[in-house]
Amino acid sequence: MSLEKGKISDFQLSTLIIAFIFGASVILTPGKGAGHDAWIAVVLGLMEGLLIAWIFIALASQFKNKTIVEINSLVYGKVLGNCISVLFIWYLFHLGALVLNNYARFLQLELYPATPKTISLILIMLVCASTVGRGIEVLARCSLVLVTLIISLAIIDTLLVIPHINLNNLMPILDVPTGKLLWASHGTAIFPFGDTVAFLMVLAFVNKPGKGGSAVFRGLLIAGFVLIIIVARNAAVLGQMAETYSYPSYIFAQVIDVADVLTRVEVVIAINLITMGFFKISVVFYGTVLGLAQVFNLQSYRPIIIPVGILMVILALTNVGNAIEMFDFADRGYPIYTVPFQIGIPLITLLVAKIRKLPQTEGGKV
Amino acid sequence: MIALLLIGFGIVALIQVPGLVRKQWWRELICFTVLWFMGLIFSVMIARGINLPPITTIINDSITIMFGI
Repeated sequence: MSLEKGKISDFQLSTLIIAFIFGASVILTPGKGAGHDAWIAVVLGLMEGLLIAWIFIALASQFKNKTIVEINSLVYGKVLGNCISVLFIWYLFHLGALVLNNYARFLQLELYPATPKTISLILIMLVCASTVGRGIEVLARCSLVLVTLIISLAIIDTLLVIPHINLNNLMPILDVPTGKLLWASHGTAIFPFGDTVAFLMVLAFVNKPGKGGSAVFRGLLIAGFVLIIIVARNAAVLGQMAETYSYPSYIFAQVIDVADVLTRVEVVIAINLITMGFFKISVVFYGTVLGLAQVFNLQSYRPIIIPVGILMVILALTNVGNAIEMFDFADRGYPIYTVPFQIGIPLITLLVAKIRKLPQTEGGKV
Repeated sequence: MIALLLIGFGIVALIQVPGLVRKQWWRELICFTVLWFMGLIFSVMIARGINLPPITTIINDSITIMFGI
């Protein structure tokens, strides 16, 4: 019995991917460490991200209508497959807690300084839990509406800031040492592009499985293109300071001033984070509860949504000591920590499946 | 604070458990109970001011030591 009855179209999958990539990256702009060459790091990171996506798309195409948990059981057997699945579910759960933490920290630092972080976390989690309970179809339909809004806002922000753009801030090109640039590009490939490996829990529900791969690539390319513009724009407006701010996309909007009437539009950027962060948390939360339900052979994932949500909030509250440790993890630890989950598990599973000539067909069915 | 937590967790259990028992979804009930208990214990620990280990910091420290970065 399938745990998810909903189906999404390939177009909805693309918008969901765009929303997922924008999730935290509109605020925590990628390419950090590459200075004014951050946009080049995003270009290189997008290429590596497409390679990572190619691996998990190849796996999902080989096992149509199966999530990574079901694929692992088929490829490695029940026991070893479930152990590997639990590792992957941990990655999704931890990623959800990290995004929640970023989200609540941003709200506390920039918008609601007097509101305790716990309250923000609980409120965000309630919205995500409610959406996850309604299934992947509802989430995908929401993304269709909100991604259009957010891309429009990003374009309007960029147009309004044109008078403040100084292209000299982007010069000289390729001034950053190669090692630093490559590390920054790898960091960008992992976060946000590589995180899309979470869609191994979603690709099974695309109504035309053959079009899932192209939908993922389309989503990655559109989101990557918008991110390149955002990163280049931030560097062109803020100059060297873009590297020192924690939230450059938020700070850049403070310079917008149209005839002393349209000012303080940075709250629009906060709307980007609030809406897109919701999608990233919801997708990984959905993957976590669906994965756990499949590992434990449950009839529905809905009974465990609330307790898993509570545990995710607890991990978000306690997983790092302070903001500096969080940024240090994002810069140094995260690009290595996620490699086994984003590249290792899908690649090894794909190779083992090829060697074992899986999936074997019985009467034309997997 | 702890009383508030217990009331919150009690409400969650009251909403979920009767439905699971009625449908005789015992496996789901066990999963729910285990996760619910974990959440309750950790929440009470945080409310009592007991510091839980910062998992991300531990992972980050292990990676930076292991790879010398």
